[in-house]
Amino acid sequence: MKKIAIIYSFNTQKSKKVAEKIVAAFGENSIEVINAEELTTEAFDKFDNFILSAPTWFDGELPNYWDEFIPDLEEMDLDGKTFAVFGLGDQKGYPENFCDAIGILVEILEECGAKIIGETSLDGYTYEASKAERNGQFVGLPIDQENQGRLTQGRVENWVNRLKKQMK
Amino acid sequence: MKDLQIPKIYTIKKTPKESLEKWFKLMTVGRAIDEKAPNYLKQAIGWSYHAPFAGHDGIQLAVGQHFEKNRDHIFLYYREMLTALSCGMTSEEIILNGISKANDPSSGGRHMSNHFAKPEWNIHSVSSATGNHTLHAVGTARAIKYYGEKTVAISGQGESSVSEGYVYEAITGADKEQLPVIFVVQDNGYGISVPKKDQTANRKVANNFSGFKNLRIIHCNGKDVFDSMNAMAEAKRFAIEESKPVILQANCVRMGAHSNSDDHLLYRSSAERNYVIDYDPLAKFRRLLLRYNRFSEEELLAIEADVKAEIKVSHKAAMRAPDPDPASIYDFVISDPVVSEKYPDGLHSEKGEKKKLITALNETLKTEFRHNPDTFIWGQDMANKDKGGIFNVSKGLQQEFGDKRVFNAPIAEDFIMGTANGMSRFNNKIRVVIEGAEFADYFWPAMEQYIDTSHDYWRSNGKFTPNITIRLASGGYIGGGMYHSQNIEGSLVAIPGVRIVYPSFADDAAGLLRTAMRSEGLTMFMEPKALYQDPKASTVVPDDFEVPFGKARIRKDGDAATIITYGNTTHFCLEAAEKLMEEGINVEVIDLRSLIPLDEETIINSVKKTNKVLIVHEDKVHGGFGGELSAIINEKAFEYLDAPIRRVGSPFTPVGFNRILEKAVLPNTDLIYNAIKDLISY
Repeated sequence: MKKIAIIYSFNTQKSKKVAEKIVAAFGENSIEVINAEELTTEAFDKFDNFILSAPTWFDGELPNYWDEFIPDLEEMDLDGKTFAVFGLGDQKGYPENFCDAIGILVEILEECGAKIIGETSLDGYTYEASKAERNGQFVGLPIDQENQGRLTQGRVENWVNRLKKQMK
Repeated sequence: MKDLQIPKIYTIKKTPKESLEKWFKLMTVGRAIDEKAPNYLKQAIGWSYHAPFAGHDGIQLAVGQHFEKNRDHIFLYYREMLTALSCGMTSEEIILNGISKANDPSSGGRHMSNHFAKPEWNIHSVSSATGNHTLHAVGTARAIKYYGEKTVAISGQGESSVSEGYVYEAITGADKEQLPVIFVVQDNGYGISVPKKDQTANRKVANNFSGFKNLRIIHCNGKDVFDSMNAMAEAKRFAIEESKPVILQANCVRMGAHSNSDDHLLYRSSAERNYVIDYDPLAKFRRLLLRYNRFSEEELLAIEADVKAEIKVSHKAAMRAPDPDPASIYDFVISDPVVSEKYPDGLHSEKGEKKKLITALNETLKTEFRHNPDTFIWGQDMANKDKGGIFNVSKGLQQEFGDKRVFNAPIAEDFIMGTANGMSRFNNKIRVVIEGAEFADYFWPAMEQYIDTSHDYWRSNGKFTPNITIRLASGGYIGGGMYHSQNIEGSLVAIPGVRIVYPSFADDAAGLLRTAMRSEGLTMFMEPKALYQDPKASTVVPDDFEVPFGKARIRKDGDAATIITYGNTTHFCLEAAEKLMEEGINVEVIDLRSLIPLDEETIINSVKKTNKVLIVHEDKVHGGFGGELSAIINEKAFEYLDAPIRRVGSPFTPVGFNRILEKAVLPNTDLIYNAIKDLISY
């Protein structure tokens, strides 16, 4: 498996903790950590496997660090590159747009030719609508630290185990 | 309606540099004044009401950039300083409003600070009541559609305004009529301190309206300039091309408190306050300009320096501007009415066939609709085949003038009133007549719009006059009970800015209606429904009769006492006077016709002659207009009085439905006769 880049905002608290769990599950040597706040297009040239953190902000928005990178991102050719996206959301507080950011980011990546892996089951989640939901599953890994924090470790481990098999 | 694709017209990479520069400058000016405003209060200069817009920057810039002055119509709520700037108002004009100077274009210092308007550009004067102007936007859009303009009406509002019932009335009305209006809902999550969850079950309040047939709902990030610009462009295109309404819900943050009277530290955690500041739209826009090499840091610093210098100049000019003159408070309370050359006193000596009061009203409406093609009428039960109005006063109007000028309104009194206000904003030629409610005492739901309309002329410093005649079938003696028999004028006379007339005879009804429909301003036209068909109210009616406001009519000369009355009771007073004449007592009967303005001269002259006064009205004695009349006579003619002023009217109770109860409540001829006898013998 080629080296993976995991991109998340170093300014975050909760997303950072989940990212650290993912890094630990992969093993530090197989994954490189990149700060989303200082992201450049060059970072995408260096790797073929990516894990992106896309927490949902407000009523279904990307965080600024992704939003401000989109104008560059959407012009990239990501053909041949593989992406998995996780993101924090709140099923109870924001059930109308649970983990929308995952879905928004995945859609842009797909339009750039990226291959998306890391889909997960809807089982165990209760919400009203989510842009991360497609064809009966999530297009990434939703994490709900607000309401299901005790499930996070297991969800991360299961996800990473499957990613390990899918990432080349 | 499905959330269709929003074309990406504006992006950080493609937008011309001059546009980006203009936007950055506007946003920087807005933010600088937003941050400076509290200092005016601290220094006791003014701006005591300031609702900061920081966090709404993207959507406000976008709305203003899509407003075409003198073509579109826009209604800004109190948090829309940047929209005002983006519409073209200057920083000096903003500060003039903030510190309430005489040349503040919004109101000349009459209205609260942070209520930005420039009516001469169609940036309309708005109320402080949140969402009140949604109905005005709908009314204006009705005119836009009627006159075939390819323009739009825009209502700016916070998400909490959607909790107001009249906002629902506005949106459902725009949906039904398919009107080009955009409701820009700026969602910052709070109504002062009340979080969204305490306002609505849907976090995205616009989705509460997702079942509406013709309405399109668009969501955007109000913190992002480009997303807001694209969303607003699409909203405007859709509203105009499809002639349908749009709710554009913009997700914003409120970086500060609700206003300077609110301390958000009491209910927002530091974590929350910090994360909303992290999402500062201006900082984001600035980062994008640099990140994508559209501007250098030096260029942005130079713009920021220019802005600083501009605001300094604007501040100095505004501080030098004159304050309002205290003597000006009486200006623009209500517009001057038309002056009748032929009937200066509202009297005539026409001979011929008598007409019923209802016929006089019906014929006058038709004559005035022929006279002015920009006249409209709507109300509940206004027109359906042979039915024309709840009492058929407007019978035949729709057949002659069509369903675009004469039409039914939904059962929503505030909507009827509010859209009349809005439509009359379109131009000054328009005259609107409304049947404000099925019966006068159903008018209360419209009071919210009535109050607002009453002070529009004063509030706008004479720049906008609502040219509306409100017709209400009023009073009892029909066995109608509550909501069908009560009088409301006692409550209405306490509100400045409205003429209130209450005729008793067919000729006066026709003459007052004609004057109301030709004049500028707001007239409450109360119709004594018990007299519509009553032969005793029938008179000869000249075809062109006019009755000026504020001209009472002496219905019977006399010297023993003065009876002052109006409406239904005029006839009882005349009957009592006839009976007294048989006993050799000659009383004078004054039919006021107009309550506001009041013909004090005729009253005082009569008091000087008779020295005794009885005031009679159908409304309650307690709190009725008679109390005000009595006070005026006391102040201006006390020395001519030989007896205390007496009043006859209803007791301080509702009107009962059973005829026995109704009779026990409403005044009658015997009551008046006895009161006069008592007064004469004092």
